[in-house]
Parts: sequence; structure tokens; C-alpha cells
Amino acid sequence: MIEDLAMHLADLVENSLRAGARHVSISLSRCGDSFLIEVSDDGAGIPQPELARVVDPFYTTKRGSKVGLGLPLLAQTAEETGGSWAVEPRPEGGTRVRARLGWDHPDRPPLGDLAGTLVPLIATSPGVEFTVELSDDRGTWRLCTGEIRERIGDIPLTHPEVLCFLEEALREGMDAAGLKEDR
Amino acid sequence: MKLDELRKIRERAEAELRLRGGPSRVKIVVGMGTSGIAAGARQTLRAILDEVARRDLRDVVVTQTGEKGLAAQEPIVEVHEPTRITIYGEVDEAFARRIVTEHVVNGRPLSERVVEVREVRDDQPAH
Repeated sequence: MIEDLAMHLADLVENSLRAGARHVSISLSRCGDSFLIEVSDDGAGIPQPELARVVDPFYTTKRGSKVGLGLPLLAQTAEETGGSWAVEPRPEGGTRVRARLGWDHPDRPPLGDLAGTLVPLIATSPGVEFTVELSDDRGTWRLCTGEIRERIGDIPLTHPEVLCFLEEALREGMDAAGLKEDR
Repeated sequence: MKLDELRKIRERAEAELRLRGGPSRVKIVVGMGTSGIAAGARQTLRAILDEVARRDLRDVVVTQTGEKGLAAQEPIVEVHEPTRITIYGEVDEAFARRIVTEHVVNGRPLSERVVEVREVRDDQPAH
């Protein structure tokens, strides 16, 4: 099952991509004991009547799939670690998912391999722009695929050297934002 | 992070592209829905990207897609060639590497873990 936060994040990003998003913003911020995960997109959005059911494990809009466990599991993880969660429509269209977890709570799942999870997803989604923001109480680190594409032109993000660059950049960002596993 | 490094990468990559020429030969698609991710699709995708990079396969495109209703057989990997699409199921890291080496590089599709093979007519290009 979903064992670490990187997997949760990959699941949220997949939801956004499936909703036809052209821009996905991923934000991770740690402030003291509070760890906030936020993914917002400009996809099709979730109609109001369905919003209430997003954490119902037996509810899914995916055909051929019997259960949609991603969001219910994240909601559960947030609540178990003394945090909270919200799934909201964005006024400008699309959806925003937020989950706040207790960083020091013993039930918080490990971060997992964030760079190794996000970079392959980002690189293999042509036509979708990603913004990744990592922050702590000292500052914010940001990566925009738009800025990267500007510099590499027609070279795809899946080019081996670009992949290496992205992973390295993200790892540097995690260090800069104090997102280190200390257990 | 030094964004300027990207310019050098671009120059090198464009020079390679001019030498090689031609469009991509094969497209590899990895299913990355919730059940795929839970079944290890991240490792599968990484293994494929890594194998493609290590072998310097510049005519292979790797992309991912959401769920396909084949949850029981995740992770799913599709190999799109001009004349056919081969769909493999339960692709772990080791099998993913074999798909790249045997099927994509040597042109010998594997007989195990095949979910479906779709023939593609000439007027319906695979990509």
C-alpha cells in the first residue's frame, strides 16, 4: 500500500494529471512540528456534490477501478498525526488538496524518496508545467519546469542529463528547506 | 542549483540530435495510477529511465499514464512500436530492465507477463 509521503504525493499529482491539469503546483513546507503538503492544479475540478465524497474509500470516478484509496488514506494519515486536511475547488478552476501532518508524530510516515518519485513523474508528463516549492521557517526554494524548458528548448525533460540535473536540484532544495529525515 | 548548467546540457544534446537525426523509434508508457504506484510503478519507471539512459537509447521516448483498469496486473508497461503495442503486466524493476534490453534493444519481445499485443495498422501510427 501507500507507505511513504512521496507515494502520497505521487498519487495526488496523478489525480491532477488525470483531471487534465496543464499546471500542477506542489508545495511542501515544514514549520516547527507542522508539515504541510499541498497540491493544486488547473484541471477539471471536482463538482460540489462530489467533494463531500472524496474521502469515501468506496467512491471513485475512475472506470474499471473499484476503489479510490489515495485521498482517504492521506486524510487518515493527516488525522492520525494530529493534523488536518482539505480538498477545495480553486476559484480560478481546478482543485487544491492540503494535508497538514504532525512532523514529530510517531505515526507520520517517512518522507520516502521525494526526488526519485517526483522527477520521473514530472519528466514524463509532456505539456504539463510543474512548480515545486519547498520551504521551512527560514526560506523557500522553488523549481519551475517552465524555466527549465526555456533553457533546454526542444530537449525533453527525460534526457538523461536533464533527469540527473532535476534530481540533484530537488535534493539540494530538500536540504535547503530542512526536509531531511532525522530518524 | 545552477540553471546555466542546462545551457551546456542543451548544447550537447542538440549536437547529438543532429548526429543521430530521425524521430523516436519506440515509446515506453508506464501506468502510474494509485494502484500502479502502490504496486511499485515508481521503481519500474525509474528502472526504465535508468536503463534507457545507461544504454544511451536516444530514439526511445518514456512517458507515463494514469490507471487503465488493469489494477490486478499493475505495474503495467506498454511498448509502442510502429506496427504493434505490447502490454506487459506485473512489471517489477528487474523485468522492466529486461523489457528495455530484450524487447527494445534486441527487438525480441518477451513472452512472459504479456497482457495483450495490439497490431497497429500503417494508417494508425503508434505515436
